[in-house]
This record gives sequence, structure tokens and C-alpha cells, in this order.
Amino acid sequence: MSLFRFYGALACLLPAAVVAKPIAYQGGTAVMGEYGAGTMQEFQGFYAPSYRWSAGGGYLRLDAADGSFSREISYARGNLLLKRWNLPRAQANVFAWGGIGAASSSDFEGSKTAWNAGGQADYETLRFYSSLRSDWQYAHQAYVHRIDTAQLGWAPYAHDWDRLATWFVLQGRTYTGGLYDGLESAALIRLFKNGQWGAAWVEAGITQDGHLQSMFMFNF
Amino acid sequence: MIRTLSAALIAATLSLAAAAAEAPRSIEMKVDGLVCAFCAQGIAKKLGQMEATQEVLVSLETGLVAVALKPGQGISDEALRATLTEAGYSVQRIERKDESLAELRLRLKATRP
Repeated sequence: MSLFRFYGALACLLPAAVVAKPIAYQGGTAVMGEYGAGTMQEFQGFYAPSYRWSAGGGYLRLDAADGSFSREISYARGNLLLKRWNLPRAQANVFAWGGIGAASSSDFEGSKTAWNAGGQADYETLRFYSSLRSDWQYAHQAYVHRIDTAQLGWAPYAHDWDRLATWFVLQGRTYTGGLYDGLESAALIRLFKNGQWGAAWVEAGITQDGHLQSMFMFNF
Repeated sequence: MIRTLSAALIAATLSLAAAAAEAPRSIEMKVDGLVCAFCAQGIAKKLGQMEATQEVLVSLETGLVAVALKPGQGISDEALRATLTEAGYSVQRIERKDESLAELRLRLKATRP
């Protein structure tokens, strides 16, 4: 089943909506990390001079599920909010990003210039959220990978500013370029909380293969 | 002479008290797009940095943001609108109220389903 069919089927069951947003808020710093079921591990840090854009860098490790290669990519990246819809009880966003860095891998010698680009569309209410995100990784004559991620979330209660927010999330992800065959699906629980120090977001769950899928994010 | 000074002092005190009574204690704003506590953190941070702000209240359930003012201080609608717009949100309405944030919290709690 393709990711888009999977996403479409889920969208029929739940009202639509996001993955972590790459832009926190004006003057805000976002630090995030993801452990993607053994296939991808990523750490990122971004500073947002405006709510419309942020810049920073990251580290990405990609491991083929069959063990045939491993890649390490360090990059600088810029994120742009292309469009935001502020609705009375909802918000929707479209983001795009791109960057450049250096990659090394077990299946080629030395270091290569690595390009990355991507985008995300999301829709969110107090109780439902959905997102569709695509990441593209490229190094000339070395690799091309696309990682598509869809998420649908449901909150059992409408969280307010000062309360712990709890979300149940279904995630579907596909990889190209020999990283993983088929659709990798995961069930996650996500918690976030505001405090004087900033805001923290933690999520963890398990994929259909029994692997850990987790993520954290701090805004301050 | 003493009588005149006393009268002037009383008049000044009454005038200040009247001005304080008329001054809004809080400003309430109806904001669109306010659905994510994680993202709305920027609003509280920005409003909290304003000189006249004593306290900030964000209510996602009602889409309200309220600012308690320091005694004798004020913030213009334009400044509030600019701050919230720069934080990425849309302001629908701004109202000045003679209500403390504690009273507003109670009112919101009472209307919570």
C-alpha cells in the first residue's frame, strides 16, 4: 500500500492535521531529535528570527534496513513558512526547506556535497491534527533518498495552555533509495508541556516491525 | 494655608483614585489559530516581555489571550496587534476590561464544558 493510500484511508476515519514545526516562533530556538526505528536518526537545531523563517543545522544518519549501507550527513538548512491559515478553531501551515552539507557513507569513498530539500503541510485543531511531510536527500553520483511521512493525531481531551497535552498518533512512512521496502507504520504517544523554561515535546511508540520510534523537541 | 494644602492633597488623591478606577486592569484578545500550546508559547513570551505587562493568560479552549497591566500603565491596540501578528497569529478583537486575570480564570473555568 502506498503512503498516500494509507494516508487517504486514515483521513477518511479522522478529521484531518503535524509533525513538529521547523519554526518555533519569533526569537525562539527549537532543538529536536528523532530515532526513526533504526533506519534514520536525526538531530536538528534552528533559530527563528521571524515566525516566517528559521535557520540552523542538523545531523542525519541513514541505515539501510538490509544493512547494505550507512550514511552520515551533516547540513545547514533554512526553513520557510510559505503559508499559514489562522482559523477560529484551527490552524493550517505549509512549510518548505532546503540546505547543503557533507555526506559520508559506507558505500562510497570520502565526503560528498549533500543537498536536502523538503516540505510539510499540516492542519491542526485542539483535538485532531494531521501532517504530510516529504524530505529529499541527494548527493551527486552517490544517492537519492526521499522520505515521506504522514501523521494523524487525536487528543483524548482538549488541552489548555497550562495542562499536559496528550496525543495518540498514527504514523506512516516510506523510504526510497534502498533504505526500507514498503510502508513503515507506527503507533505513538505524544506528550507536551509548557513551563517557565520553555516547552517540551516527547513522543515514543513502536513500528509494525517492533522497533522503537521516538522523538523529542524543546522550544525556548 | 494648611487648609488649602489639605484640600489640594485630598483632591489629588481622589483624582488619582478615580483615574485608577477607570484604567483597565486587563486587556482581552480573541485570537484565531490558537490551537497548539507548544506553538503559542511565543505569544506568552513576547507579551510577557512588554514593559506594561504584569501577567499573561493564554486560553486555547476559548481562543483568548489576556494581559494584566501593571498599575498606571497601558499598551496600545496597535502594539498588541503587531506583537500577535509577528508571533504568527490573527487578532479578531481587543477589549479592555476592569477584570483581573484571576477573575477571568474563574469565568473561563465556569464556562468550561
